[in-house]
Amino acid sequence: MDAEKKDIYFKIFRYNPEVDQESYFDEFKISVEKGITILRAMNYIKDHVDPKLSYRFFCQAGICGSCAMKVNGVAKLACTTQVWDELKKCKTPDVITIEPLGNLGVVRDMVINYNPVVDKLEKFMSWVEPAKKDSAFGEKEFIVAEKDFKIIDAATDCILCASCYSECSILDAHKDFVSPLVMLKAFRMNADTRDTASQKRLNLLTKDHGIWDCTHCYKCVEACVKNIPIMDGIHGLRNSAMNRGMKGEGYRHADAFRKDIYNVGRLNEPLLLLRTKGIFKVIGMTSFTIKMALKGRLPSLFVKKIPGLKKVRELMRSTSKR
Amino acid sequence: MQPYDIIIIGAGGGGLYAAMEALSANPKLKVAVVSKVYPTRSHTSAAQGGVNAALANRHKDDTIDLHIFDTIKGSDYLADQDAATILCEMAPTVVRELENLGAPFSRLEDGSIAQRPFGGASKYRCCYCADKTGHTILHTLFEQCLRRGVVFLNEYYLLSLHHDGKQAQGVVVMNMANSEISILQAKTVIIATGGYAKMYWQKSSNAAGNTGDGQAAALRAGLALEDMEFVQFHPTGLRKSGLLISEGARGEGGYLVNNKGERFMSRYAPEKMELGPRDLVARSIEIEINEGRGFDSDAGKYMHLDLRHLGASLIKDRLPQIRELAIYFEGVDPIEEPIPIRPTAHYSMGGIDVNNDCETAIKGIYSVGESACISVHGANRLGGNSLLDILVFGKIAGRVAAEQSVTLTHKPVSSSVLEDSKKEIKSFMDPTKTERYGELREALGKTLGENAGIYRTRKNLEKGVADIMELKERFKNVRVHDTSVVFNTNLFQVLELRSMMDLAETVARGALLREESRGSHSREDFTKRDDEKWHKHSIFHRKENGEIVVSYKPVTMGKYKLEERKY
Repeated sequence: MDAEKKDIYFKIFRYNPEVDQESYFDEFKISVEKGITILRAMNYIKDHVDPKLSYRFFCQAGICGSCAMKVNGVAKLACTTQVWDELKKCKTPDVITIEPLGNLGVVRDMVINYNPVVDKLEKFMSWVEPAKKDSAFGEKEFIVAEKDFKIIDAATDCILCASCYSECSILDAHKDFVSPLVMLKAFRMNADTRDTASQKRLNLLTKDHGIWDCTHCYKCVEACVKNIPIMDGIHGLRNSAMNRGMKGEGYRHADAFRKDIYNVGRLNEPLLLLRTKGIFKVIGMTSFTIKMALKGRLPSLFVKKIPGLKKVRELMRSTSKR
Repeated sequence: MQPYDIIIIGAGGGGLYAAMEALSANPKLKVAVVSKVYPTRSHTSAAQGGVNAALANRHKDDTIDLHIFDTIKGSDYLADQDAATILCEMAPTVVRELENLGAPFSRLEDGSIAQRPFGGASKYRCCYCADKTGHTILHTLFEQCLRRGVVFLNEYYLLSLHHDGKQAQGVVVMNMANSEISILQAKTVIIATGGYAKMYWQKSSNAAGNTGDGQAAALRAGLALEDMEFVQFHPTGLRKSGLLISEGARGEGGYLVNNKGERFMSRYAPEKMELGPRDLVARSIEIEINEGRGFDSDAGKYMHLDLRHLGASLIKDRLPQIRELAIYFEGVDPIEEPIPIRPTAHYSMGGIDVNNDCETAIKGIYSVGESACISVHGANRLGGNSLLDILVFGKIAGRVAAEQSVTLTHKPVSSSVLEDSKKEIKSFMDPTKTERYGELREALGKTLGENAGIYRTRKNLEKGVADIMELKERFKNVRVHDTSVVFNTNLFQVLELRSMMDLAETVARGALLREESRGSHSREDFTKRDDEKWHKHSIFHRKENGEIVVSYKPVTMGKYKLEERKY
């Protein structure tokens, strides 16, 4: 029995800085069998149609993380993505769009500049700083309880494919943002009972462009090819910063946020800013404030309690117990 | 670029362990790791099952001696017994060291490192992290290299290896981002480039880049290769892609079942059943298929690996990656259905001929891991011994290179090699050339699979050698169509194919000459192991004119006498 076959169009991003002023899309029509992955389809194009098509791939089994790219607009691994599954997601029927990951800059076609990822892994101490001296290595293993191991288990699935990096909305706004995968690594290191550098790491992470810049858009969680609950890691880092009394702007913002909701059921935005930034920084923002007022965008200083505030408080009390 | 004390080619577990160890032995050394991929992409990440060490956490009566014996017996007595002893003696130390550095090993109830049964092992000895052991070990080593400040030259391709006949001079590399070719002067060079089993292409579990670049560069530089004919076929590759289903699946209790519903391993290894050594299980599957007891499909004949009786929770807990692979690549959820499998080329026992300190015949050039042949695996490697090999000998190579680099002086590489390299690269792009890379690569994989696969005969191997020689001739006329200097993957694919072509010739020639069956090398015309004539290592040299010469050297014996291998 012959396998199901279909003519499919691959609309592929092209850019080679050596010859192209601007990026463009090429379209390749190939006949694809059911059961073929995006990577195998691309390899077919490279072997038989255009040997210049450029992309990274290595293990072809979803564990090395080389071949992350955007397929129909979403970052994923080309090697574990079935062409047939993508057909359901095409904007134009039977046209699959392939683009490089976002937020990293293009070297050529789907090859992105991966160096920022490595630089940030290094900058934020993405390693276990062991509790043993070098000379004592190898004598005995640490005893690690099942429950402690469970905390880091999911995070060690990360293959650094940078899909989350590509989709992160904060990185889109500022390239210096620590990034989801580096926060996940930091969480995994901090939660490891064998590590001794959690305070140092938190000091680095609570500076500008650190953990408090994340806005919980959850795009990283959606993008993760290993289904890792990245946001749990980000929350874990924030909680431990707060528990250690690291009362920087991020902490003050979260705390003021919580108090507003508890006290009146909604945000008092001007006061929220004041409590987060402090009086001097807010004075420094006067011209910005005046511009907002002139445009009629300045929120009111006076906020009324919402009806049903009792229920909100009950909810907050019950979640904080958990 | 500055002269280095140690250049390490390859950023898998062996290379990274060597880098970490060298800097820990002497932090003042200038050490750089050169890799054609970012380190965490390396194929160490694909090792699923685990790493053997006689910690005796699970079976209290396990001992290092038992591990040594299992390794030697598994090797079909071709392993050098002193090397195997080092491997097993150092195992508990390196596994615990890695654990101390943060590797997230799965745990027993008492919090110690968990261990599972594995093929060819007499005890529960295989330490693991679910089925992502290699991945987590590679990441841990990369993290610790960052911690120690190792210099990484990521996405640099090795073009050639240089020495003055006595001592290492350095390497010539190409920066893949911009095609810049440069000489890296080094007192010592550690080759850790992984295996060459991708030459079987369609019938291989390996990453696209496991093309034996380091071994091929060593062969071209006049160094010796050893035991190249021994290529391990893993019993359980996925039917369509050849991708690997770890031995962990059988370690946890999976059954191999034929089209009659029989657990056919009862015929071939009545005691160990599915957990016989890999060569034996792979051959048994081939026999079952050849005798008509396989399943049939468009993608070829296959067998069933049945995990259903293990239950959903065990599969999800301990074999999550395997379940993912089966779903992605075969559309089969192992909780509901058996996984379709067939044997797939998996591991190169052969490699660069080195001694127990990872040294080649040239001072300052070492090799480690799958690119080396020490030999600890002999004619057949046991599951869980490859991760162990890269850790133990990565550590040894790092330490030895650190010590020796202090006593050696720099020997400059002649700058004329730069011009030679540039000319050679340019010649690949000559528009009058007509051969297509993809065709040659497919043809190489096909002839190797058909003529130098699991079962071999004189007739097939002679055809294999002839095919390879013809392909090598055609390769001279292969054209790189991409002339860009920016990330030219077309060029690197062709360079990788050159490595595979050169090494394929040694595999086929070695197999043709070896008239016996031992470990992974099974001759249908010489079905018995012949210790009198063939209990020896094959050694391969390349003459100036390109001709491959094969000689032999004895196996180092110890307290274990030659015995018939039964499971």
